Amino acid sequence: MAAPVKEMTGRERVMAALNGEPVDRTPVANPTSVATVELMDLVDAPFPDANRRAELMARLAATSHVDLNFDTIMPVFSVIQESSALGCKMQWEGKGNWPTVRMSEPIWKTSEDIVIPDDFLMHPDLQCVLEAIRILRREYGNDAAVIGKTMGPWSLAYHCFGVEPFLLLSLDDESETRRILDKLSEATILFGRAQIDAGADALTLPDHATGDLVSGEYYARYLQEIHTNFVDEIPIPLILHICGRTVDRMGYLSHTGMAAFHFDSKNTPEESMAAVEGRIALVGNINNPSTLYAKGPAEVREEVYANLEAGVQMVGPECAIPLQAPLENLMEISRAVKDWHADQAVPA
Amino acid sequence: MPTIDDIQNEDIRFEIGEYIERPEEFERFVNLFSSIVPLLQDIAAAVIDGDNGLADELTQQALADGITAETIMDDGLIGGMGIVGVKFRENFMFVPEVLACARAMKAGMAHIEPILAAHGGEPAGKVIMGTVKGDLHDIGKNLCIMMLRGAGFEVYDLGVDTSEDEFIDAVEEYDAYIVGMSALLTTTMPNMGTTIEAFIDADIRDDVMIMVGGAPVTQEFADDMGADAYGKDALSCVSLATRFSRALASEAA
Ligand code: B12
Ligand SMILES: [Zn+2]
Repeated sequence: MAAPVKEMTGRERVMAALNGEPVDRTPVANPTSVATVELMDLVDAPFPDANRRAELMARLAATSHVDLNFDTIMPVFSVIQESSALGCKMQWEGKGNWPTVRMSEPIWKTSEDIVIPDDFLMHPDLQCVLEAIRILRREYGNDAAVIGKTMGPWSLAYHCFGVEPFLLLSLDDESETRRILDKLSEATILFGRAQIDAGADALTLPDHATGDLVSGEYYARYLQEIHTNFVDEIPIPLILHICGRTVDRMGYLSHTGMAAFHFDSKNTPEESMAAVEGRIALVGNINNPSTLYAKGPAEVREEVYANLEAGVQMVGPECAIPLQAPLENLMEISRAVKDWHADQAVPA
Repeated sequence: MPTIDDIQNEDIRFEIGEYIERPEEFERFVNLFSSIVPLLQDIAAAVIDGDNGLADELTQQALADGITAETIMDDGLIGGMGIVGVKFRENFMFVPEVLACARAMKAGMAHIEPILAAHGGEPAGKVIMGTVKGDLHDIGKNLCIMMLRGAGFEVYDLGVDTSEDEFIDAVEEYDAYIVGMSALLTTTMPNMGTTIEAFIDADIRDDVMIMVGGAPVTQEFADDMGADAYGKDALSCVSLATRFSRALASEAA
């Protein structure tokens, strides 16, 4: 048996798991969003302002470590900060909902239209994220891993070109689709690097080429190489996020060199572990809409255990936590992880 | 009893043999395609292949051959979309391909619609569809709309982020009997319930049949909110709408 690992801070634990090194226990992580209405009230940092003002963003994000005992802090609750900076039509919504892009009113039609503004990073909605990361780095230094988020080109294309026009284009014109993805990747890289400079420990990279929309072969054709490239261009552990069904593309994405993949409950922990064959760490996959939102701590615990037993390297919700998810369900995640490890430690 | 070998179009034979697994669906498609002329089979195959140029050309040819607009629509275009719906449900086909099929069907419909309108042909029924307030997920709703149109329904698409008033106004403006609501977020799912309440307040709840759907929605949730039905995919959306309009027609009769 390997020597027991000395007790780690949240940050050490997450970084070790991302680097494939031994951990004292499985880290609890959410690479997408932990914001809920209850947490907003708790620290007086409600949506939509918490998506647009750095102090509020940092304060709400910190609840994941301070109040929920997660080992990560993720200040970006949405998927739209970059799209706002690129000029998409925005709907900031209110306290009870996530902000969104009006994808039915696309801003671009061809790759020629794409412009990443020179002052892209100076846009207030990106500055807000960068400043929130600086605050969190300062205040939670070694306690928790501060994770940033930079959107991949496939998701940015949904926002800027509209989902349906873009998906049709991907079928009609492969080279134009590639030009679009290449150009948009510049935004992914720019914002990613800026977050490294601001002090992020790792970055989530959502890119919604999900099995609910496109085939696994599509991922291999259009994204595998781009994602592989990001590993060199954005030198920090990257966590790919694709929600929905993905087991048919886990083989491909496990070859990108990214540190981890954040997976959805539409894929079981066992089949997912089998599909990636240890080439990429997994984070997930507690169900949001039925379990965290609508069931109780006992069911949450069951799903945590299922992940731990399958050997999933980091445990947490599958995607952005439902804003109305009850706190007791969220707090149960880290409790369950600790209990499971305590049980393992008892000699038989 | 016709068999699959009675279908002349090779592609259609392949599609049915390869992808249609449920016996009752297999039988329905074999019966349909073995009973129609080869040109209509070719139209269906063009729709399944997402070939809008060919669907356009063959539809014009069929009209020139004297096949009625209704027959071309029902047997060729809608027949093809029927197979597309099953392939999508079973994950043999993904969204880009389905969008291309819908585009092909639309190319054919462009020649059919003016003729049906001139004859004063009745649509299968009128449906209002929208994604509820605060929700911008529309892919599932749009696929439902394509399949509804593919089944001959006249659909008014209210888009995303649809308020209660927009649903109510649309029912009144288009005199529609069927309303479909979509929600993909647990945060917006309750807006289906508030919309239903708004229908009650506006005193028009009894004038419409309301169906709901979207990934987090369940039968139980639909019942709690007082919806008339829940549908789990685009094909069930079509069967619900068909059931509602048949019931309406038999009431009227
Ligand atoms: C693609 C996607 C997106 C795209 C949406 C693009 C678009 N224009 O629609 C993008 C990337 C932009 C996006 C954004 C967000 N998303 Co999203 N998204 C998805 C994903 C991966 C797939 C959804 C989809 O399109 N499926 C394919 C279609 C065909 O299926 P469908 O919609 O279910 O529709 C079928 C049936 O349900 C049915 N149906 C649908 N409507 C109707 C209506 C009637 C009347 C009937 C009868 C049937 C019916 O028929 C359809 C065809 O078969 C899901 C993952 C999942 N597990 O579902 C998450 C998911 C829905 N998203 C989620 C989240 C959290 C978000 C964001 C909040 C992320 C964020 N942090 O900002 C934002 C929300 C923005 C907003 N306010 O709406 C969560 C929701 C969880 C929750 N708590 O509610 C999900 C479930 C992911 C997860 N596992 O947690 N998302
Ligand atoms: Zn997600």
